[in-house]
Amino acid sequence: MISLRHITKRFHDGEREVAVLRDLDLDVAAGGFTAVVGPSGSGKSTLLYVAGGLDADFDGEAVVAGKDLRALSTRERAAFRNGSVGFVFQSFNLLPTLPAVENAMLPGLFVPRGSPAPSIGQLRGRALEALDRVGLADKASRLPGRLSGGERQRVAIARALLSRPAVLLADEPTGNLDAVSGEAVIQLFSGMVRDGVTVLVVTHEERVSAAAGRVLHLEDGRLR
Amino acid sequence: MRLRSLVHLASLNLRSDLRGTAVNTVAACVGAAALVFFVALGMGVGQAARLMFPGDARLVEVVPGAVSLGAALGGGALDDAAVARLRELPGVDGAWRRLALRVPIAASRAPEGVRMNWPTGFTVQVPVVGVDAGLVATDLAPGRKFDDPPSGEAIPVLASRRLLEVYNKTIAPAWNLRRLPPGLDLMGLQIPVQVGFSIIPLKTEDRVYDARLALAGLSDRVPLYSLAVPVETVRRLHKEFGKADTGYSSVILEARRPDDVPGIAAAVRRMGFAVDEGERAIAERVGLAITVTAGALALLALLMTGLAALAIAQSLSASVRARTRDIAILQSLGATAGDVRALVLAEAGLVGIAGGILGVGVAWLAARGVDAAALGLLPDFPFRPTTFFLFPAWIFALGVGVSAAAALLGALAPAALAARVDPARAIS
Repeated sequence: MISLRHITKRFHDGEREVAVLRDLDLDVAAGGFTAVVGPSGSGKSTLLYVAGGLDADFDGEAVVAGKDLRALSTRERAAFRNGSVGFVFQSFNLLPTLPAVENAMLPGLFVPRGSPAPSIGQLRGRALEALDRVGLADKASRLPGRLSGGERQRVAIARALLSRPAVLLADEPTGNLDAVSGEAVIQLFSGMVRDGVTVLVVTHEERVSAAAGRVLHLEDGRLR
Repeated sequence: MRLRSLVHLASLNLRSDLRGTAVNTVAACVGAAALVFFVALGMGVGQAARLMFPGDARLVEVVPGAVSLGAALGGGALDDAAVARLRELPGVDGAWRRLALRVPIAASRAPEGVRMNWPTGFTVQVPVVGVDAGLVATDLAPGRKFDDPPSGEAIPVLASRRLLEVYNKTIAPAWNLRRLPPGLDLMGLQIPVQVGFSIIPLKTEDRVYDARLALAGLSDRVPLYSLAVPVETVRRLHKEFGKADTGYSSVILEARRPDDVPGIAAAVRRMGFAVDEGERAIAERVGLAITVTAGALALLALLMTGLAALAIAQSLSASVRARTRDIAILQSLGATAGDVRALVLAEAGLVGIAGGILGVGVAWLAARGVDAAALGLLPDFPFRPTTFFLFPAWIFALGVGVSAAAALLGALAPAALAARVDPARAIS
């Protein structure tokens, strides 16, 4: 489901060039729950951005959900992010001015041309279903600012689920959560894996990696 | 991104920043209101001026030259031969004769067919001019003829359309006469007159007889304070009273197109005649003054609209910079650069449309206010319009369209800024 070959990602720090990912290889089978652990600054987030088509400026070959990311145009990459992958971030990345249900609806608003687009009413229905799956149907009209950290992350997961993606990419999903909320998120991920979703989580938390079926260590830009 | 999704998200974003949305909407509203107000004012005042000075851009009034070298060199009297030559000038569609009646006609009794409190002993000298039927043919009331009538029948006359207004607003109040009710059909009204009688001592002719004038129509082509009768009637009366006809008072040339008028006027002058530009020149000067003033005010309004666009640009740029992370989040969910650009433009477009609709409403209300104030403050002078504004349907589209266009123009740079957001950099 995820196949990264010889991935090298460099950043420019003034005149200096810094390689964050170095000739990295990664294979994740469909339906697997994989955790990538490593210290801060080891390139975990960058790895997710590359695999999720957010960052196209890298060397190597990345095939995710059957799509060769290097071969995709900007528009096709956006369609890939919309339909094939779902993102969950440490800081939730919800739009603070929109209620939970509107946040969960967002991916449905960017369905690319050529694909069947649901009406706003249908989208709302699907978003409410997704919120129900994460146990937040009763808080659909609340703004993110009026939700706890765990609830916000569950809204973010509901949003990621809306497009029914094949791959879920999570960047430190429990980093800002207490133990109970973190456990709830991990349970949600496990449930998604049972439903056939491929989950790739980058984390430095043991409780997350402990739940994963496979744990990889990222050090000096390479996976071990 | 589908249009309904775009409008949905843009509306949500606008609702989430009510203060910014309100400020931008007010900016767009002020520009649109000023534009619609001044354009409507210009058109309204223009229409009022056209009622007051109904100059026909295709008419040229030819009068005998001030200094004539005689017919041999052209010019001289405006006789039938001169009229024929004038009719042959390039660009001339018709030549209509005018001949001032030199036999005095006076009215000392109220017109028949309309209730008037005619003062006892009140006599009005009636200036009369003979005109060709062709000049006023389109102004004749249905079924009315404009020919010299057989002896004993009423003489058909046309009055200036403006004369009724002047009568109602100045003559009637000054002489304490009854005003003519609006919508009154005056056609066929008969005015008993005395032909040959003058209120000026020693100007009354040796023979005076009773006759009747019958109103056959109203026309802008009749001089304001005259009644027009058939030119043949004037010639007959001149013959009856021994007045020699040396030529016509003037000849009205009708050009095929307004553009032909300058060439015709030059040709007329080369023939030794003069062109009376009195009323037409006034109409043109008034029209020009109104056009220039309205144009300047509309330009000022456009400037205000431009300033509104700048304000919207500045506000949206700040908003885009503040929403960089939000934009990156949208991109992570599948928004393309085009979607992001369209979203910012849609927000501006919605603000522009809302501002435009509000602006048109404000302009309309302001116009009604000015009209109400004018009604209370200005005296009831002739041709005083009931409104100084004209609001044709297209002016509403203009207000909304210009406001939306200005907002979109102001949003171009912020939209481009938003489309350049790098999601990987902004989201981390």
